[in-house]
Amino acid sequence: MKKIEAIIKPFKLDDVKEALNGIGIKGMTISEVKGYGRQKGHKEIYRGAEYIVDFIPKVKMEIIVDATQVDEIIETISKAAHTGKIGDGKIFVLPIEEVIRVRTGEKGKEAI
Amino acid sequence: MDVALNENLPTTTQFNEGIIGQSSMLHKLDDQQKIYGLRARREALDALWKQGVSGNAVLKQHSEFIDHHIKKSFDECTESGHGFALVALGGYGRKELFPFSDIDLMVLYERKAKKNLQKVVDAILYPLWDAGLEVGHAVRTVKNCLADAKTDFFFQVAMLDARLLAGSQPLFDELIKKYTQKFIEGHRPEFLQEMLQYRTKRHTDYGNHTYLLEPHIKESRGGFRDYQAMMWTAQFIFGLHGLGDLKQAGILNKEELQSLEDAHDYLVRIRNRLHYVCGRKNDQLFFEHQEEMAQAFGFKNDKSRLAVEYFMREVYGHLREIRVGTDLFFEHVTEVLGHAPSAKGDKELEPGIEVRHGRIHLTTPNLLDSKPLLLMRLFAQSARSGVPIHHRTQKIVSSNLDLITEKQRHSRRMANSFLTLLADSSNPLLGLSSMLETGLLSVYIPEFSKVESLAQHDIYHVYTVDRHLLQVIAELQKLRQEESAVFSVVEEEHILFLAGLLHDIGKGFGSGHAERGADLGRIIGGRMGLADDELESLVFLIRNHLFLSHTALRRDLEDEEFIMRCAERVQTPKRLAMLYLLTTADARATGPSVWNEWKAALLQELYLKIALLLERSDLSANDQDKGKELGARWMQEKVSELLPENSDMDLDLLPEDYLLNFAPEIIVEHIKQSQYLVEKDVLLFHEEHQESWSLLLVTKDKPGLLAKIFGVLALHNLNVLAAQIFTWGDGTVVDTIEVSSAISLNYRDQNWHGLEQDLEMAVNQRLGLEHRLHNKLAPLRKTIGGTEKRLDAKIEIDNQSSEIYSIIEAYGHDRVGMLYEITRILSDFGINIFRARIGSRADQVVDVFYVLDYDGKKIKNREFQKELRQGLLFAVADE
Repeated sequence: MKKIEAIIKPFKLDDVKEALNGIGIKGMTISEVKGYGRQKGHKEIYRGAEYIVDFIPKVKMEIIVDATQVDEIIETISKAAHTGKIGDGKIFVLPIEEVIRVRTGEKGKEAI
Repeated sequence: MDVALNENLPTTTQFNEGIIGQSSMLHKLDDQQKIYGLRARREALDALWKQGVSGNAVLKQHSEFIDHHIKKSFDECTESGHGFALVALGGYGRKELFPFSDIDLMVLYERKAKKNLQKVVDAILYPLWDAGLEVGHAVRTVKNCLADAKTDFFFQVAMLDARLLAGSQPLFDELIKKYTQKFIEGHRPEFLQEMLQYRTKRHTDYGNHTYLLEPHIKESRGGFRDYQAMMWTAQFIFGLHGLGDLKQAGILNKEELQSLEDAHDYLVRIRNRLHYVCGRKNDQLFFEHQEEMAQAFGFKNDKSRLAVEYFMREVYGHLREIRVGTDLFFEHVTEVLGHAPSAKGDKELEPGIEVRHGRIHLTTPNLLDSKPLLLMRLFAQSARSGVPIHHRTQKIVSSNLDLITEKQRHSRRMANSFLTLLADSSNPLLGLSSMLETGLLSVYIPEFSKVESLAQHDIYHVYTVDRHLLQVIAELQKLRQEESAVFSVVEEEHILFLAGLLHDIGKGFGSGHAERGADLGRIIGGRMGLADDELESLVFLIRNHLFLSHTALRRDLEDEEFIMRCAERVQTPKRLAMLYLLTTADARATGPSVWNEWKAALLQELYLKIALLLERSDLSANDQDKGKELGARWMQEKVSELLPENSDMDLDLLPEDYLLNFAPEIIVEHIKQSQYLVEKDVLLFHEEHQESWSLLLVTKDKPGLLAKIFGVLALHNLNVLAAQIFTWGDGTVVDTIEVSSAISLNYRDQNWHGLEQDLEMAVNQRLGLEHRLHNKLAPLRKTIGGTEKRLDAKIEIDNQSSEIYSIIEAYGHDRVGMLYEITRILSDFGINIFRARIGSRADQVVDVFYVLDYDGKKIKNREFQKELRQGLLFAVADE
């Protein structure tokens, strides 16, 4: 089992969610996050006032899936979140040791 | 829980064992008949409720039902019951027993009866426990009671509702007598202090608002506790029992009595039903129960609103009645006991209105008939000074609302007072809240009554619409400091605040509230006598109040095309600033789930992107912007269609920016006028606008042309507000310049002919601008004092923002002739100015020039940049 963590642009959330629904992914965790990578924060000056943007707002989505689905999901997210401009985001894949459904106590694949 | 009695009956013993274990085995099974009876009461009560028996009656019946059972149990104690008194306390003492409320029962005993204590307590309490009732029980002697009442304020208060259920009357009387001597007589001020302290604490703990999404029927503002606190205090301080007594004593009038009674009864019914719906003691109207409650109260969905929204509106309305009623009561008591604030700040605020003991009073109420404006002035003064209005004066306002007629609603002075309250006060929320509560707000703006106490059944909106609107005003007030940079862009602050108050006024009639609100806003603003452009801003803000927040989350903010469309929609930096502030205040006043730092960051990004675009206009010249190119071509076609057949004008000479900046008809006019350049060197056209005068100059390009134009304008006392400079391929220059006069507001006073002559001379190098300006400014120079706040002089050279041009930004303190000097210096350096934005506001200047050097390239050489910066600083800095 793997966890896929994707950091994407906020306005792309609906597109990505829809695309993932399209390939049968129904569950995910979404959080509003801030950070920076290559798309550094920046400073704007407007009418003499400085506006410093240190961290850029992004959406983080976390999806736990069976290892066989990973490639398809990465492709789907990449396609849906792509604008071609800096700051489109990143996708991380992490190994998952165990998943337990609290209500039933099911483990592993069954619990996803 | 235990409603399905018939099946449950045989298993009762097992159930008991589970709950109270071994001790339950001590009593005999033939008590089961009793338990059955106790349990059946809830079904019986439910039936009553359905028959429409009102809230209080249900509680009374429930209490009496329990009374009956307890008495029966006590009677069975016979001999051993001597020297005991069973006392009901708290809500049960008042005969207000809710389905799942605790039964507050005290077993009072004489010392010599102690040997029978266990027996009596068992006989009374077991049947209650076995029926699954929550019993709050205590066993005390009279001495214990007094000791406990001393240390525990809640018990002291609970004693006020003490009621003898069964047993020894003399014992009970002794308790009451001693309690009265020890706690009531001579302790009234302390009681009030303590009561007020708990009241304040409760309001902080449960939210100071009646209008929270999930109101707590018991503890929140306007809930049972507020009502009871009033009743206890009335009993304790004045010896008054019940609302009827309060009316007799002149503390309440007939209408107030009625509305408090209605409100209380309604809350009783809600709490009753809530206990059934939840199956437990729950006093908070949780979101998930609201719909079921609305059904139970017989509300139905219709086209525009949900049943639950109708229901919650009623709930909020009743909570408000109690809140307002009890607030007034406590103010009255505080005053009577001499706890009112000191007379130190007493003074007259204006004729007819004064501050006494920290409250605003109307001095001569009969003045109102001849001067209804005073009604509004009261609240304006309260908002300005932050001093609340005295409750008696508030009552006077409520009973004189009919003085606000259609004439008053159209009165300019009334509108001015109202707008001052909104946008130019230290505490607008204070003034507005009491305006809302006295009813004046909805009488002055009748459209407002449609959103009063209007609930919105979703998890975002924590407040009712009216409260939300008031909250937005409070947030706008806070943004004054927190977003001072954005605020300083806004000129029509009163329009921003009015939009804040009205932006949701179209709610309550289904979707499209922004559009509907905009229409209502036009009517309301028109009635207040706003100017046309103010009205347009107001309507724009209301109509678009969701635009930025929707956009920031859903659109790609890197998409320049899209930002451009936003900019087109918003049009001016001032409007954008207002819209941004309104959006922020709106989100912050909606609820915690709507606003956070993350969303704030996105919204700010959008704001800056549009703002910078509006400021630099279309000159960020991105070649990939195909739309623009296409637009220019389309314009060319339009222009050629409009041109006379015989025109020999080569339209390819017209630059793209120029084409996109004017309507085809105007371009054709320019082309026509440019023919006359054969006869004259300068063509000047002028036009009067509302705030400024607009000049169109057509001439041939020459070195230092712009400096000369600005110099002549300074000579003629004209301040430049904005300028756009276009140079056609054939060297024809078309400049549009917005100016205002430094000395006269009258357009006709200006010597336009003289201006044209001087321009003609200047472009032909026959006017000594340098010395003329020097002489003209000499007397002014001395008066430029150092008292005003100065903007630091600064020159920025930006090669990033535009692909074609270098952008020079000059920050400085405005003075006559400065623009002339800046442009002259640029010309000395051989720099060509293609576009200028003159951002004069108040007395600071941010001038932006789009330039290229004498080779038609960006200014990149560092040495040259440094020299240029020094040269310009010389012109910009104060002498």
